[in-house]
Amino acid sequence: MRDSGPESTKMPAPDQAVIRLKARLLRSYRARICGDLVRPATAASLLELPPDLAPGLREALSDRGLSQLYSHQREAFDLAQAGRHLVVATPTASGKTLCYNLPVLDAVLRGGKKALYLFPTKALAQDQVAELIELGRALKTAGGEGVRAYTFDGDTPGDARKAVRTRGDIVVSNPDMLHQAILPHHTKWAQFFEGLAYVVVDELHSYRGVFGSHVANVFRRLRRVCRFYGVRPTFIFTSATIANPAELAQRLCGETVTAITESGAPQGERHLLLWNPPVINPDLGIRASARSQTTRIARMAAVVGLKAIVFARSRLMVEVITKYLKDVFDKDPRHPPRVLAYRGGYLPSERRLAEQAMRAGRVDLVVSTSALELGVDIGALDVAILNGYPGTVAATWQRLGRAGRRLRPSLGVLVATSDPLDQYLVRHPEFFFGASPEHARIHPDQLLILLEHVRCAAFELPFRDGETFGAEDLTEMLSYLRDQGVLQHQGDQWFWVADSYPANAVSLRSVAEGNFVVIDTTGGRQTIIAEVDWSSAPGTLYVGAIYMIQAQPYQVERLDWPGRKAFVTRTQADYYTDAIDYTRLKILDRFQGRTCGLGATANGEVHLVRRYPGYKKIRYYSHDNIGYGNIDLPDQEMHTTSVWWQAEPRALESALPDRAQAIEGFLGAAYALHHVAALRSMAELHDLGRAVGDGQGTWFAVTGAEGRGQLRGPDNAPVDGEGVDRFEPTLFLYDNYPGGVGLSAPLYDAADTLVRDARDLVAGCACTGGCPACVGPIMPGDEARAITPRAAALAVLGLLGGAVEVVAEHGV
Amino acid sequence: MGFEDRLRRIRGQGGGTEVPPVPSPTDGPTLAERLRRVSTGRAVPEPTVTRTPDEAALAAVLGADILAPGVLRLERRIDARLRHGRGLLGQAHVPQHLPWMPVHPVGWISAAHPPEAHPPGAWLCLDTETSGLAGGTGTWAFLTGLLRAEGSGWCLRQYLLARLDAEAAYLELMGAELGADAGPACLLTYNGRSFDAPLLTTRFRLADRSAPLVALPHLDLLAPTRRAFARVWPDCRLATAESRLLGVQRADDLPGSAAPAAWLGWLRRGETGPLAAVLRHNRADLLSLAGLLPVLDAVYRDPAAFGADCRSVAAAHQARGDQAQALRILAANRRDLDAAGLHDLARLYRHAQDWGRAVGIWEELSARGDPQAHAALARFHEHRGGDLGRALELALALPPGPERERRCRRIAEKLERAGRNLSLGGLG
Repeated sequence: MRDSGPESTKMPAPDQAVIRLKARLLRSYRARICGDLVRPATAASLLELPPDLAPGLREALSDRGLSQLYSHQREAFDLAQAGRHLVVATPTASGKTLCYNLPVLDAVLRGGKKALYLFPTKALAQDQVAELIELGRALKTAGGEGVRAYTFDGDTPGDARKAVRTRGDIVVSNPDMLHQAILPHHTKWAQFFEGLAYVVVDELHSYRGVFGSHVANVFRRLRRVCRFYGVRPTFIFTSATIANPAELAQRLCGETVTAITESGAPQGERHLLLWNPPVINPDLGIRASARSQTTRIARMAAVVGLKAIVFARSRLMVEVITKYLKDVFDKDPRHPPRVLAYRGGYLPSERRLAEQAMRAGRVDLVVSTSALELGVDIGALDVAILNGYPGTVAATWQRLGRAGRRLRPSLGVLVATSDPLDQYLVRHPEFFFGASPEHARIHPDQLLILLEHVRCAAFELPFRDGETFGAEDLTEMLSYLRDQGVLQHQGDQWFWVADSYPANAVSLRSVAEGNFVVIDTTGGRQTIIAEVDWSSAPGTLYVGAIYMIQAQPYQVERLDWPGRKAFVTRTQADYYTDAIDYTRLKILDRFQGRTCGLGATANGEVHLVRRYPGYKKIRYYSHDNIGYGNIDLPDQEMHTTSVWWQAEPRALESALPDRAQAIEGFLGAAYALHHVAALRSMAELHDLGRAVGDGQGTWFAVTGAEGRGQLRGPDNAPVDGEGVDRFEPTLFLYDNYPGGVGLSAPLYDAADTLVRDARDLVAGCACTGGCPACVGPIMPGDEARAITPRAAALAVLGLLGGAVEVVAEHGV
Repeated sequence: MGFEDRLRRIRGQGGGTEVPPVPSPTDGPTLAERLRRVSTGRAVPEPTVTRTPDEAALAAVLGADILAPGVLRLERRIDARLRHGRGLLGQAHVPQHLPWMPVHPVGWISAAHPPEAHPPGAWLCLDTETSGLAGGTGTWAFLTGLLRAEGSGWCLRQYLLARLDAEAAYLELMGAELGADAGPACLLTYNGRSFDAPLLTTRFRLADRSAPLVALPHLDLLAPTRRAFARVWPDCRLATAESRLLGVQRADDLPGSAAPAAWLGWLRRGETGPLAAVLRHNRADLLSLAGLLPVLDAVYRDPAAFGADCRSVAAAHQARGDQAQALRILAANRRDLDAAGLHDLARLYRHAQDWGRAVGIWEELSARGDPQAHAALARFHEHRGGDLGRALELALALPPGPERERRCRRIAEKLERAGRNLSLGGLG
């Protein structure tokens, strides 16, 4: 099994090599290490196997060396047996798989019950089935009944599907298949549904944002179909450590869910170093590259005989780091390689070989993307080095969990890049060792998403008067669909009458129809390589744009706007592009508001008009602006939700009398807030948008071509800030999806925390006048000004957060 | 704020025409308005006008009876002498040559418990018209046409669902025709195995009724048609089959794809005309189904007479264990066979121990330089003809490879042994 059960109850003896390496790093690089944390070893907490397991199950487990359970595994079993929905959110390698396999196998063996397993990726599903097949064999060897587990995904051949539907005890699939293939054909699955006792959802934390909001609706449909067949399956979720596993699971499945967060699995001593590369240009805040630090640490580990894994954020970086390490360790071709790269894009057979080599301990250094973050078994490692923050604290822990599997002490090193989030996090160790700061958010009642799923649900089974689906008035939605000609109301039911298959038109990864596809035309091919949401397309797909996929740059050559297609070719460009964003926001409706410091914060509905007049070409590493291009696209309009901040005008005037500087301060504050907000809401940066304006759409602020903040009017023409009547700059963080996907309300609730986080980010930065790691790129010479962009941003954040900053002096 | 208003508000803004907000009795915009506001620029279709359909008027137009509210049935006797295409419809036919006979129910799986034999000829032709081709639980079979052999002719019954909430009654009444009480029956369809039958099964399932279809033996004529004509015709649609095999040319036929619109036109606007055309179309399909059975039977007796693929037809017979039939068909069409067909024929001769004819074919092919024929002949001369010299000669002509090496070596060894034996004999 992937997560084996209890191995030993003894506390491990400290492994001196890891401790010695850490001591050496601390000795030699004291100044670079801004966090040194130790989590002590924990002993196993064991409980007996449940007394009345199905025949053969106890024997099969014993044969595999499992005669007892970790406490959380037993807890999960007891809850599941009682029909309670549950989520297991314990660390990597704590035996989560058994938390669901045990109750499921027990139910299957006891009497023809069925289970549906959902994994977000196909590879994980395959691993899971391989494991279940092995367990089935052990069960047969133990003289019991076997268990039939099948994958059901897009690769399942047509003639095998019937066997999966009618004979599978456990069907392993993914949310997209459930949405498009299983639910709309539920009658073919009648036998399966009639026996369905468990729905297992692995990697719960990945169901957030748009995707999670869709999947919550797919589960509403699933539960509706289950009611039709007279069953009420129990949901079992597993999750990485996030702040709100039970809440997220509850929002996903619509019923009360009990969380199990205490792990009974033993753990070796864990050491974590937060590593910030040294500053090499203090004026611009430029630091040495994370890559150079990462390879150095990896080399030191390998030299003293420790096995290490390096995680990089892109495929390209994996290849670069691998090359550097191979140059050191694999110079002699007569010896088997000690360094191995592992990433997506390799053939499955290559990956299997790499996994075998790792498990057998033949490799000393593995360099990987997130491909290894999830449950692929690669055996024991001593050191995990993260080249850059992976984007969420949960993912950080999943990667760090790769080291120290066998109760030995382990060392993790997080090497920060110069990204704002990296810089912020290495200065805040409490994010890693305190309670998780990350709240996964979903908004299942987002109007457009909800309507799509009402449509799909109406196709699957007619709605009856009085039924509910989500928080909106269902009758109103059904009437709307009737008016659109897809439903008819007759008797007390709403019948589907359109000649279409609605699930095919709904992608679980976007809001509303009209996704763009990115088509690679390199070498005369026509391969779809990505899909881009309608709302982010204009800012990323314009002619001339550099579009990155897994660190491979592509250039957009041609755009078919009505056809929603962007044609790209591979390129070797040494720059990336950044669209100049003229976003005007108008507040339509204020839901809530409160004063906050010397300002006020509120959230509500906004109307947004966005124009991309052009784009900048920016060179990698140096971030030099090396050119401009024009963008010829229509204005984008969107209604969405937003949180906003305003400063009390007199306080603002006394803090920053110069309006140009006030604008600069707001733009810098918005930059910092945007980053810390993405962190708290587990969102990608582009899930949120930021803007500074007056809230009425009369003017808005942008960073102009020459790098200065400037005001523009409703027609996008420049406006003189000093001439504006009521100067009330408003800082918006808006939900970047039509209608909003529920990101802004939680940001409003956490507004004070966000402002505090943003101030910490800017105040703690190693630069003097501002840099891309805190307030965004600044102009040469700005650091020498009386009030630097950084000081201005701090002044604004001070007003929004309550403290008055002293800004008269140079620097902070 | 109403749902529709909010929807309008999110939609439509990028989409061109500005739709004025519809005032709502409640406070706030309607759903449509809300959707329009959040929408991303796709046109929102105009609401459709709905009128109440008049069932009695529909029944009158169709000449059908109202069996229950929302369930109409049109019933007609059809004489066997009815002209259909080039010939007469004829009586129920008992196929003699179709390798698919006898047929088994769809739900029949276990070879250990074969279903009861059904009297041949109790055909029940079935064809449905549906609200779409997408499949899934949202697709309705709103018209089920059944054509049953009765006496010396046929009885046509078409069940039409005229109200959505009457489906339970519709399935009940139509299902009774398929049940055991209606007498023995064997389903005859065209593409019904993968379309009509699963769709009806889904409808019965949704209405919480057991599906009677799975228990019935079922012959789907698409399979034999494909076997015989897939390589000859541009496609194997029913329209192609009836026109080529029966000479049926439909005038003013409603294309099958227009059926969903016709039904929707009735449900929404009470239109009866297009629905009447759908019933005529369905009836024509059923007649062709009945008419095709004897013709396809004849095709499997004498494929060449119909321009069918002889090799494929023979292979179908062979797959059912009818070597004699396969041999007869290939032998009769020997002149038209390609190399692969000739090999099939030679193989059948070999199985029939007719070595002379088999060798004749191989010689003919071998003379054309066919390596497979060289191999077959080499095998023959080595093991049966006893001419090792000729066998070696042929083996040497095989394309280079391990197969050739092995054969040549073995024959050479045999020759050597034979030579030794000969010389030993000579000495003795």
